[in-house]
Amino acid sequence: MKLLVAYFTVGYPTESKFVELLREAESCGVDAVELGIPPKFAKYDGPLIRRSYERARKVSANCWGLLREARKILDIPMIVLAYLDDYSEAFDDFLNRLREVGADSLLLPDLLIDYVDSFEEYLEKARDVGLTIFTNPSMPDKLIAKISPSSKLFLYYGLRPATGTSIPVDVVALVRRARQLVKNRLVVGFGLSPNDVVKVLKNGADGIAVGSLLIRAIEEGGVEEVSRVLKELRGVIDGV
Amino acid sequence: MVNVPKKYLDEVLPNCWYNIVPDLPRPLPPPMDPPEASSRIELLKRILPRELLKQEFTVERFVKIPDEVREKYEVLGRPTPLYRARALEDLLDAPVKIFFKFEGALPSGSHKVNTAVAQAFYAHAEGVDHVTTETGAGQWGAAVALASALYSLRATIFMVKASYDQKPGRRALMEFYGAEVVPSPSRLTRTGVEVLTKNPEHPGSLGVAISEAIEYALDNDFRYVMGSVLNAVLMHQSVIGLEAMRQLEVMGEEPDVLVACVGGGSNFGGFAYPFIGLKKRKMEFVAAGAAEVPKFSRGAYKYDFPDAEGVLPMLKMITLGRDFVPPPIYSGGLRYHGLAPSLSLLIASGVVKWVEYGEREVLEAARIFAKTQGIVPAPESAHAIRAVIDLARRAKDNGERKVIIFNLSGHGLLDIENYREMMTKYRGP
Repeated sequence: MKLLVAYFTVGYPTESKFVELLREAESCGVDAVELGIPPKFAKYDGPLIRRSYERARKVSANCWGLLREARKILDIPMIVLAYLDDYSEAFDDFLNRLREVGADSLLLPDLLIDYVDSFEEYLEKARDVGLTIFTNPSMPDKLIAKISPSSKLFLYYGLRPATGTSIPVDVVALVRRARQLVKNRLVVGFGLSPNDVVKVLKNGADGIAVGSLLIRAIEEGGVEEVSRVLKELRGVIDGV
Repeated sequence: MVNVPKKYLDEVLPNCWYNIVPDLPRPLPPPMDPPEASSRIELLKRILPRELLKQEFTVERFVKIPDEVREKYEVLGRPTPLYRARALEDLLDAPVKIFFKFEGALPSGSHKVNTAVAQAFYAHAEGVDHVTTETGAGQWGAAVALASALYSLRATIFMVKASYDQKPGRRALMEFYGAEVVPSPSRLTRTGVEVLTKNPEHPGSLGVAISEAIEYALDNDFRYVMGSVLNAVLMHQSVIGLEAMRQLEVMGEEPDVLVACVGGGSNFGGFAYPFIGLKKRKMEFVAAGAAEVPKFSRGAYKYDFPDAEGVLPMLKMITLGRDFVPPPIYSGGLRYHGLAPSLSLLIASGVVKWVEYGEREVLEAARIFAKTQGIVPAPESAHAIRAVIDLARRAKDNGERKVIIFNLSGHGLLDIENYREMMTKYRGP
């Protein structure tokens, strides 16, 4: 069974809607959620996710409370997404808070980009929480191959240079290259179109991740629209 | 078509370009949108030919060269010759063998046409009939003018004003191929007007010219073609290194040191990356820059805009800052404030070493080369020659046998007036 991973920004669009979205996601057949803590600077995110962070920061200061709430209502794995840039100084405290809220894993999008010389140290420190590792096509083959087995739940592979952008890429070539290297479940994301989803899965990925697509759905039609999008994706995935 | 025996051509001219990104020692930091601004990454779709963008972000180690492009490579005289610089060796009297790949043999006078042809083809293939670009010394502009002529495209070329004034020969060459050449800063774009308002005497810079060319392309729905910095551009240039690798194999030589000059990095990358990424042998790689544009010694490795206006996404690179106004040195091609992210990474991680030379030392090297080998090198390429001469002398001092190969990225016949001025300026006591 192929995985559907859904991204939500913690506290977006409002605290109550965020909680509602999670309930809906689980009931629509999502296999895992990534929950993004608004960072100081969302370096490697595209415009939609950046906008959601700005908005979330305005409406909610209760990030950890919301994560605790999320844990209560979710049976599926809950991956917290945060930029290491914000927590590298106090990483142990950060891990303690993640343990407290019961996160299943942590995803640090900047780990292999800005902290590549010390990633093993962070991997070791976060061993019990577990890191879901983010990779992309501009990482060396050797590194992707080496790190993929250490990734918890699955290895995340972002196809485009930033989330939610529609830069043209050869999806088939990219996924095939990654598939050869990754000895783990391979989940692919970043600006996937419906057409991309089918190509990604047919060429060896074990699942897909959507984020910006859901933020747009929230902006356009709220929880209902998100539910429609997720059900449709579930259908496409199960049909491949 | 240049009369190259088919067998030699098939053996030496590669079928694929090589992209070093999967073989870099560390992850290449992705392009980044600046904080609090519209997405520059999304904007790329409206600026660059679609296929180029696809190549930039579909990171594949080998990419097939389209038949239409490979044909043009043959027309233009690829493979270019690999020479042994015996007369220079004799003069230096060092225990070294010196080889050079001569990209100056291409009709526009430098390596730049290797990617210009590919990008013009991709623009043409998507139905665009007009491209824009910037040029410093004029090598890139001449290459785009030629490539545009080959595919019957119109070309508008923003030429850094200092070069526009100093290099009338290159300007004439671009116009001869049918391109429109505009001195930058110009009054054709908002960027140009703004710069001229602040400083009517602004000598221009590659950063400003890039911004103008992009703005002009965006406003008119043309495509912008890029001379350096992009991974895809360095990949197109890999024909240089891939050919050289084959040619050395045929000669039974293994290089110990590879040298090329560096502006934005396309000549260095195209020449050296196949050796860095594909050869398992221990080699030394030396990037030669201009002391007047001290990006290696004074630059920082950080996210910066590749263009002065900040229209393009930020790139993590070695940079002197996008506001850097270089002194009007004759090597216009080395005046760029930044450096291709892949080469920046290789320098920051110590795989590639660097040297910087001032104009006087470079002039001396250029004349030594011309007087021994007969070829007048482009002033940019003469930085590499300077480095080769120093490496050979050091090898002599240390009694080391070395095989040195460098890329003679362009000839300097169109720079001869500038050389004459340099000879006056740096005349010895």
